[in-house]
Amino acid sequence: MRTWREITSRGNFRIWGLALAGLFLLGLPFWASQFVSYLMLTFFAYAITVIGFNLLFGFTGLLSFGHALFMAAGAYTAAFLTSKFSVLSMEIILVVAVIVSSILAALIGAICVRYIKIYFAMLTLAFGMLFYTFLLKFYYLTGGDEGMRVLRPSLLGFNLSEIPKMQFLTGSYYLYSFVVLAILAFLMWKIVSSPFGLCLRAIRDNPEKAEYLGVSVKRYRWYAFVISGAYAAVGGALLAPAIGQVDPGLTYWTHSGTLVFMTLLGGFENFFGPLIGGIVYIFLQDKVMSLTTYWRFIFGGILAFIVVVAPGGIAGVIGSFVKRRKN
Amino acid sequence: MREERGRTILSARDVHKHYGEFCALGGVSFQISEGEFVSIIGPNGAGKTTLINVLTGLLKPNQGKVFFKDREITGIGPEKLSKLGLARSFQLVNIFPNFSVLEFLMVAIVSRLNKGKNFFSSLLRDSKVTGEALEVAQLFGLDEKKDVLTKNLPQGDKKMLDVASAFALHPEVILLDEPTSGVSTSDKNRIMETLVSASKKIGIKSIIQVEHDMDIVFSYSDRIIALHQGKILADGAPKTIEKDEEVVCTVLGQKECFKIFSSISDRKS
Amino acid sequence: MIETILNILFSGVFNASTLFLVAAGLQVVFGVQKVFNLACGSFYALGAYVGITVVKGVVAGGFPTPLFIVPLIAAGLLLGFIGPIFERGLIKFVYDRDETFQLLLTFAIVMMIEDVIKFIWGTSPQTMGGIDLVYGQLNVLGATIPVYNLIVIVCSLVIAGLMGYILLNTRFGKIIRATADKREMSEALGIHMTWVYVKVFTLGTILGTLGGALVIPAGAAVSEMGVELIVLAFAVVVIGGLGSMKGAFVGALAVGVLKSIAISTYPELEMLTIYIIVIVVLVIKPQGIFGGSRV
Repeated sequence: MRTWREITSRGNFRIWGLALAGLFLLGLPFWASQFVSYLMLTFFAYAITVIGFNLLFGFTGLLSFGHALFMAAGAYTAAFLTSKFSVLSMEIILVVAVIVSSILAALIGAICVRYIKIYFAMLTLAFGMLFYTFLLKFYYLTGGDEGMRVLRPSLLGFNLSEIPKMQFLTGSYYLYSFVVLAILAFLMWKIVSSPFGLCLRAIRDNPEKAEYLGVSVKRYRWYAFVISGAYAAVGGALLAPAIGQVDPGLTYWTHSGTLVFMTLLGGFENFFGPLIGGIVYIFLQDKVMSLTTYWRFIFGGILAFIVVVAPGGIAGVIGSFVKRRKN
Repeated sequence: MREERGRTILSARDVHKHYGEFCALGGVSFQISEGEFVSIIGPNGAGKTTLINVLTGLLKPNQGKVFFKDREITGIGPEKLSKLGLARSFQLVNIFPNFSVLEFLMVAIVSRLNKGKNFFSSLLRDSKVTGEALEVAQLFGLDEKKDVLTKNLPQGDKKMLDVASAFALHPEVILLDEPTSGVSTSDKNRIMETLVSASKKIGIKSIIQVEHDMDIVFSYSDRIIALHQGKILADGAPKTIEKDEEVVCTVLGQKECFKIFSSISDRKS
Repeated sequence: MIETILNILFSGVFNASTLFLVAAGLQVVFGVQKVFNLACGSFYALGAYVGITVVKGVVAGGFPTPLFIVPLIAAGLLLGFIGPIFERGLIKFVYDRDETFQLLLTFAIVMMIEDVIKFIWGTSPQTMGGIDLVYGQLNVLGATIPVYNLIVIVCSLVIAGLMGYILLNTRFGKIIRATADKREMSEALGIHMTWVYVKVFTLGTILGTLGGALVIPAGAAVSEMGVELIVLAFAVVVIGGLGSMKGAFVGALAVGVLKSIAISTYPELEMLTIYIIVIVVLVIKPQGIFGGSRV
């Protein structure tokens, strides 16, 4: 039997912190502006994507510069299903997005995981740009650079097309996305704390030794690749109805760079780092964009600062702060 | 050390390996039986590390084959090899710097128990894995440091951990590449005793080591294989080898050789 | 028929010339510092924009138009000396870090330069107003090629030759080759690495800015040109082999000509073909044609 003291002790601090954050996020639409809620909604989509991305980057040590490909795949799946096939069920959209991206990731990953570091980054960049060219040039299929429209999906069978757009997005869709994020984040936590997660970290730290201990380095990297691709697709599929229009820019290599930025900003060595990075990035970008059109310069500077001074990101800085207070 | 000899467990047949013009191994053949503790000795450059790399499937020889329990393992690669029951440790410590001692050992155990594909089960709550990891840590005297990060361990402990992780695979044969190198003389015996008792507990059938320290070699081995310039110079029991002047002189160098053999001949006369 | 082929060939070689310069800059920095400089495309873009400004200004001030290529090349060369600012100010901090962090730092530089360009020159495309036609055109077997393009091709060949000479015959070149091969050895031999790094990075930057300056009279400068070029440059080094100068030459030719062929046959598939070839090369021979052994 756990006593109240035990439950509220430092060890469970994390769970309390998460519960509080969860409640805060759930209640946000009630007291924040519609715009802020909308931004938070986009954060949910990106959060899912970067959690998946960090499985590959932080936990397995593979930097993919083409990860936006899978986000775009999910987004375009949503666009296709809603506007071309009149399939409006969000659940079906999510499932199909996962299937499509898993197939893509399985094929692309099979090629890419045989290489590491710069070559892996370059190969994934090439695939991302290949997809970009495909989306751009096959305009009869994909709408070219104008992209495709995404119609409002139905959630859990409920057709909510009567509700005005912003109300839908910051109301039921917000809640829906939050729940999906919570479920997927929990799932990822389990993956990362599993024996599989241990093997991935071993592969990251010393692939040669891992191999000598019987760990199938290439095969496990491939699994991580497919899982992270699936996560990105769910993120993209959730993002699509929120932005209403998908275009090839979603898979341009600089968008992949954004995903890396978010992860690095928050801290890639920590499970929650990418989440922190995502939220900070989205709100900071909005703030900076309203001040100047030259937000890229500022963000470039921030990225440079992180890489040189604080590679552990925000989570890293907090972590060392906490450590210093302990001593 | 061991009395029961069994069937052949590891054999090399006419193994050749050259790097361009340089011949690292020029036709090495031997058989190792269950229950043997074999030391491979030889001066630097004799081909010992190349031999280990070929025996553990990392290097493909230009000629010749390696067999493990009647199954050809030439060049199959470290991953498949460990699954077949052959493990090795490294001369230069090969570690996971950011893992704790316990996590390090858990990698080997997870791999051995084929739990690597368990995506959703909790590692920390898996008592079989954590329990076994703790046992291995105890066998090697590392249990008190079980939560220390590997990169913060002293060099000797890092080495022990590297070896311990290989043992945690429960291999049938283990190859140790200079297990006591870089360790102070007073610690060497302690390490060897740990290795021997650990292998008994785990049930390792044969130990092969590359070793430079002749005291260790002669105290612990059932059999010594002396390598020189890529060929086997001698292969036999320690008692036979230590009387073989050619072997001792080649391996130890002229100065040592002169000391030993002139002192023997002094005593004789 | 022959004219089409010749046209394709000439425009391909012209593309290749400027691509080669940028790729060479990329290669030499990667070979010595092992940093894959994504910002090489940004330096190329800067060279183009500065080239336009300088030439326009100089011509407006009364400089004889036919000699425009002189201030153009001068601008391209001199601009490259901003290289040390980046190298000493940022890049040097990540030499001993993981490759991925180095890549990310250069990505940060790309972002910053893109906005600097937007700030100084705005977002609408800039051109030199056809000044390259001042040299007229040549008629070869029915194909027309602007003389300016020929000049650029010759310039690139000269630079390629110079690079080859420097690498093979000068002390600096030998140091480049030695450190590309074995960095620790070179350090042990007392070669002052800091100075080498600065010089090499500057060389890489100059090659980039020069490439941009040379290509711009025949085209238009857009703010994304740096970001777009990096993908082509990367295709060049993949095909030619990372770290190899010969590779930059051959790779540039391959990509330049391929681009040219694709544009005249199936324009939609232009980049598609290039990416597919990149992927195929990376799969079959990841080291490229002349690359080293590390993969």
